[in-house]
Amino acid sequence: MNPATRTVALTVNGRPYEATVEARTLLSDLLRHELGLTGTHVGCEQGACGACTVIVDGRAVRSCLMLAPQADGAVVETVEGVASPEALHPVQAALHAEHGMQCGFCTAGIVMSLVASHRAGVPVEEATEEVLGGHICRCTGYVNIRAAVDAAWAVAEEASS
Amino acid sequence: MKPKFVGERVPRVNDERLLRGRGRYVDDIELPGMLHAAIVRSPVAHGLLRGIDAPELPPGALFLGPDDLRRLAPGELPVLWWLGDQRQKHTPLVDDHLRYVGQPIGVVVASSRYEAEDLAQQVDLDIEELPPVVTVEAALAPDAPALYPDLGSNLLCTFEAGDSAEHTDAVFAAAQRTLRTEVRIGRIHGLPMETRGLAAVPDPYGKLTVHTSTQAVHAVRDVLCEVTGIPQHQVRILAPDVGGGFGLKDHVYEDEIMVVLAAVELGRPVKWIEDRNESLLTTTHARDEVHDIEVAFDDDGTLRGLRVHAVRNAGGRFSVFGSGPLFTALGLSPGPYRWEAVRCVGRAVATTTMSTGAYRGFGQTQAAMIRERAVDLVARALDRDPVELREQNMIRSDELPYQIRTHIVFDNGDYVRALRRAQELIESGPPAPDDGRRRGIGYCSYVQLAGIGPSFMNEIIGVRIGGFETADIRMEPDGTVVVATGVSPHGQGHETTFAQLVADELGVDIASVHLRWGDTDSTPYSAYGTAASRSIAVGGGAAVSASRKIAAKLRNIAAEMLEANPDDIELGAGRATVAGTQVSVSLAEVAHKAWQGFGLPEGETPGLAASSLYDPLSPTFSYATHACRVAVDPDTGLVEVEDYVVVNDCGTMVNPTIVEGQIHGGIAQGLGAALLEEVVYNDDGQPLSSTLLDYHATVSATMPDIRIEHLEIPSPYTPGGMKGMGEGGTNGSYACVANAVFDAVPELGTERLVTPLTPARIWESLHPTAVL
Repeated sequence: MNPATRTVALTVNGRPYEATVEARTLLSDLLRHELGLTGTHVGCEQGACGACTVIVDGRAVRSCLMLAPQADGAVVETVEGVASPEALHPVQAALHAEHGMQCGFCTAGIVMSLVASHRAGVPVEEATEEVLGGHICRCTGYVNIRAAVDAAWAVAEEASS
Repeated sequence: MKPKFVGERVPRVNDERLLRGRGRYVDDIELPGMLHAAIVRSPVAHGLLRGIDAPELPPGALFLGPDDLRRLAPGELPVLWWLGDQRQKHTPLVDDHLRYVGQPIGVVVASSRYEAEDLAQQVDLDIEELPPVVTVEAALAPDAPALYPDLGSNLLCTFEAGDSAEHTDAVFAAAQRTLRTEVRIGRIHGLPMETRGLAAVPDPYGKLTVHTSTQAVHAVRDVLCEVTGIPQHQVRILAPDVGGGFGLKDHVYEDEIMVVLAAVELGRPVKWIEDRNESLLTTTHARDEVHDIEVAFDDDGTLRGLRVHAVRNAGGRFSVFGSGPLFTALGLSPGPYRWEAVRCVGRAVATTTMSTGAYRGFGQTQAAMIRERAVDLVARALDRDPVELREQNMIRSDELPYQIRTHIVFDNGDYVRALRRAQELIESGPPAPDDGRRRGIGYCSYVQLAGIGPSFMNEIIGVRIGGFETADIRMEPDGTVVVATGVSPHGQGHETTFAQLVADELGVDIASVHLRWGDTDSTPYSAYGTAASRSIAVGGGAAVSASRKIAAKLRNIAAEMLEANPDDIELGAGRATVAGTQVSVSLAEVAHKAWQGFGLPEGETPGLAASSLYDPLSPTFSYATHACRVAVDPDTGLVEVEDYVVVNDCGTMVNPTIVEGQIHGGIAQGLGAALLEEVVYNDDGQPLSSTLLDYHATVSATMPDIRIEHLEIPSPYTPGGMKGMGEGGTNGSYACVANAVFDAVPELGTERLVTPLTPARIWESLHPTAVL
């Protein structure tokens, strides 16, 4: 192993982890291959497709563009931590109900971006145009993902009214 | 009995697992002692490899160069489509003649992917560079550098489709008018979001297991064993969850076989995951064709003759599909219209670019572009409404079945109704705002050959694989059902749709049906896997047939148990019931009895399993008309597709939601190819579209909402009535969008159409004297 290693301590989905990795290790590789959280998918390693998006300290981040040592001390959420054992998050439930997913590869990143903006109270138009705009999905043509955004945000409005 | 599940918008049964991050794609597989591979690739478009020097390797690492690979693998990769005078029927695993950037030369294995990539970069290549040959024109030039000196020219294949030259010439001579145009079909990438990858796992018993991101596990085994010489019964290919394929993962690639050889050599598991840059360079590209099109017609709008001379850029070597996509483009070029003559000549040429292979539509997208462009030009020449002209020449429902000039027989349908309804829908769309942009409406009517085989048709064409599918179905002693299929889903939702089909035949709940796929050890052989819009038509047809055998046996045994006649037994809600009575028995009890093996009706055998091999009598033919409205900004050349409608018939719809999802996704890809997607090489043969920032896939902002209506005329062939439709959205949208852009921007002219219709190309046509 490259001698330039770092020990990274972080919280992922509420659990503390510590790993010693090469300094150049990507956060996506730490999550997937050191911590075994393979729900985060890597689509391009160029920051373009959004499939690897996770939530770091409350913000949606492309885990292929972040080095693992940069996440030292961070609170990270991945797609494995979004739903409760009993129920999917409204964003996930809407993607299922509206058939907003096909092969499922890009889905994890879309879920994480939408969950972050759903929590932050981002308006539905912004979620559809800006947030979803940062993701590439090759299967769905986005039509049903947009329908899922509408449905998930409608649930949130009902809950808050 | 009315179907309970078929035709319903049943939510997909495998979504929750994927949504919770519990998918298992190939890179999610970690095994004890696993090593990681990186591929050494050609950095040049054309050259001869004179020498290769590997760096000093750390303990446990391995490098296999060309000589090692040739020693380990005696065979070559097959080209399965043999057409015309085709002269390339096999391609080597490794070749010192380098013919495209990214051509695999060797493989490095190390303890991590990072380390393997570091070492691969340190491999020193001594290459004598040769002049690149990037375009078909350059490849066919008299003094072109020869990619295959033994063949004498870069022409790999010439073939014909349709009518004779004499008949076609006579039709053209008799017609009142002719026109000629050129269509240049851009090179694109299918772009599955999961790149290729595999994990090869030799075990101490001598069996080799390969987990690979593929559409067709049995085809992978066929090719792997042909190249390596390993007997097939010692190889198991498994497809885990697969993150999209679109035809690109219906191929077997040299680099994948190199990784398998490294694992076998080391006796340890080795994983290789392609990165996006490699994917854009070396996972098959698509199309890249030039079509010279002539149309003969009369003043009254009657279409008479179609003549197409086409050249396809095959890349540095033939893919396993050879000229197949071009053959399909030409064979389906007549479309839903009556012609007196259609004659096509296709040529495939070698260039120093990545190979072009199968991609969603497999040529039928180009077929639609050739024809629908031509029909629009005829309408324009005669100052006729393009929809009226289409209808005038369209094969009517009472003329079906109808043999088109390329000998294919269309089955049934109502093409005119789809066309007229699409027109009504697009014309009743939301009014266009007065925003200074130009508007245009485009149409595309197509008939899609789906549900391939039959096997004898493949033989006639020169496709050296069978066209059948098999389903092995077993009702277990507790009444649950396992369906094993050779087709191999990667997003299409077979887990749900096959369960719907089988559940209705057997009278059980879909939750009681489990689909097994993607495993050469436990699923029936399939030469195609999931491809060519044939899974539900051929694989589903087999599943319906096998289910019916089990249903008959259930009725027979239940009749004995209920002291009734088998013909009076109805299956439903998990029970066998004597019709018109409350007398019933659960299917679990019947299944238990069947597997107990005694107390059965006289002559009945124990067990409750059935297999059906379905080799269809004919392909199936779904069809649609797509129509869209575009807005073009004359200041920037940017196109927005504002409204989009589809009227579609794919026979019996097992799950309309899944059908519509396939249409949406297909449109996104065809629209992308029409407007923005393009694989670009520079004059040196270096790829310029090597990241997702340079290759402009359709994103949400460029994708409109879609209004879809269905006709639902069941296939006369398929058990269950399905026609297959996964590629239809792509086939319809490409020409539809292009025709709309030409309607909005007539300045683009009639002589030549070049896709993608980028803002730059459109702007240049609007500002012909501008100097950029």
